[in-house]
Amino acid sequence: MTGARDPAIEDLLAAVRRDFAAKLPERGAELAALVARAAWDDVRRAAHKLRGSAATYGFVDLGAHAAAIEDLLLEAADAGAAPDDAARARLDALVAQAVAACERASQEGA
Amino acid sequence: MSGRRTAPIGRADGDVPPVLAIGEIVGDAYEVRAVLGAGGMGEVYEAHDRVLNRRVALKVMRPNIPADYLLREGRALAALHNPGVVAVHTMGLHRDVAYLVMERVHGLSLDRVVDDRRARDEPFETGEVLDLLVSIADTLAVVHRAGLAHRDVKPGNVMLAPGGRVVLMDFGLVLPQADRAGHRIVEGSMQYMPPEALAGVVAEGEAPLGDIYALGILGYELLVGEDPHEGDDATSLYRSKAKMPQPRVSRACPEVPPALDDLLVQLMSPDPSERPPGADAVLWSLRSIRARVGRGGEPRAFSALLVDDDADMRTILSLHVRAAVPEAVVEEAPDGRGALAAVRRHVPDLLLLDLDLPDMNGVEVCMMLRGMELGDACMIVSVSARATRADVELLEQLGVQSLVKGPTLGQELGNVIRRMRPGSRGRAPSAKR
Repeated sequence: MTGARDPAIEDLLAAVRRDFAAKLPERGAELAALVARAAWDDVRRAAHKLRGSAATYGFVDLGAHAAAIEDLLLEAADAGAAPDDAARARLDALVAQAVAACERASQEGA
Repeated sequence: MSGRRTAPIGRADGDVPPVLAIGEIVGDAYEVRAVLGAGGMGEVYEAHDRVLNRRVALKVMRPNIPADYLLREGRALAALHNPGVVAVHTMGLHRDVAYLVMERVHGLSLDRVVDDRRARDEPFETGEVLDLLVSIADTLAVVHRAGLAHRDVKPGNVMLAPGGRVVLMDFGLVLPQADRAGHRIVEGSMQYMPPEALAGVVAEGEAPLGDIYALGILGYELLVGEDPHEGDDATSLYRSKAKMPQPRVSRACPEVPPALDDLLVQLMSPDPSERPPGADAVLWSLRSIRARVGRGGEPRAFSALLVDDDADMRTILSLHVRAAVPEAVVEEAPDGRGALAAVRRHVPDLLLLDLDLPDMNGVEVCMMLRGMELGDACMIVSVSARATRADVELLEQLGVQSLVKGPTLGQELGNVIRRMRPGSRGRAPSAKR
């Protein structure tokens, strides 16, 4: 994830990455629950956090899904409205992909 | 300072008639009021902007100097937007003479202040010199990050303006770092030019190291009161700079802190590869020395403040900081208010700042820190998942570097810290995290 470095640093990075990955299924479920409640601002914040941290911990796919969710909600917010039906359908699909990516990352990181 | 001044290379000498007349109207708006300065390449006038009713500085090139110089200067200034450089208003052509309209900065040039202090036998205090060097290095870091090299850093091009503002003037020799042919042309002020520039052999990518060299000469002159090298022509100066033992401030001023003495030796190294790798590194070293001078000289550990509302990000950022500096003291804050409170308690060496915080955004935090002058004493690096181009430009104006969250963040952060602390290595931190 950061190129050739001291093995001790790599061990520590691997350990924090495992800790992070272990929590991902729970975070995916929280994201889905927020979408079900249509708590759009909370969804955007949760997606924003995942976007940055997942990408930094090396879970690039998950980071990309979270980025797409955040961008979609920012567009809706810029338009001054909740996501319309088309956006909601896209959002549901993206969240499903993000939840699946959380599960995969959890298994990959274990 | 010795008072000896060699003629700038690449600039014409001799009496030449002024390009503009007092009272002349330039570009239908600017009435020439007075001559502010004249050199071999051009002249700077004070003018009255009759449309906006304000005073401006108006620069023109002499007829024998290619207008390209002024265009390069105008574009460089337009790209920078920093309190350490003058703001550019517009450019135009008047009677086939290119002109550049800039902010009129009121103040005293540093060489004049130096001369006045010498006349009154009032040497510069170490703290004063450190403040000046920090301000100039801060501006040079912005210039270099924009891909430019100033190439004429000297006291005559440093303006001390009201409110403690220090402005780097005269970007007439500025060049993109990538302009290989331009850097082989020998031009500038010889006392401040590094040996490789005097010899016309500046290597690709090393132009900023010439500015760093000049900063070292300037620091030496302010502290010692005379030029570090002897020679009235390019050849003798080259010999002195490249072949003679390096000057040390402590020989004339034993009271100067050893860390500053060593840093100036590094800045003035004849070998560009032995100088600090960039103005950011110089800036960090100067700030660190200044902090120690202010605290009686005791050593202190490198400190970092990590501001992010995501605990997972703080964890990995902390690890990356301690990977670069194992002894680092790392503090964390989850929001903007926490960050401001932490900085008030203790100004860190490095502040890693998420832009998207729950209570205020990172740009606002930066502006508040700069406004309180607290942020001036630390290196601020924004760390963001989705900074807009506008955010990045605004942050650059505030002297803030930007990094993007992602799989290479650790490596990029390590590089930033190594530029700040050239001696640091990626050793293992302790198991505590």
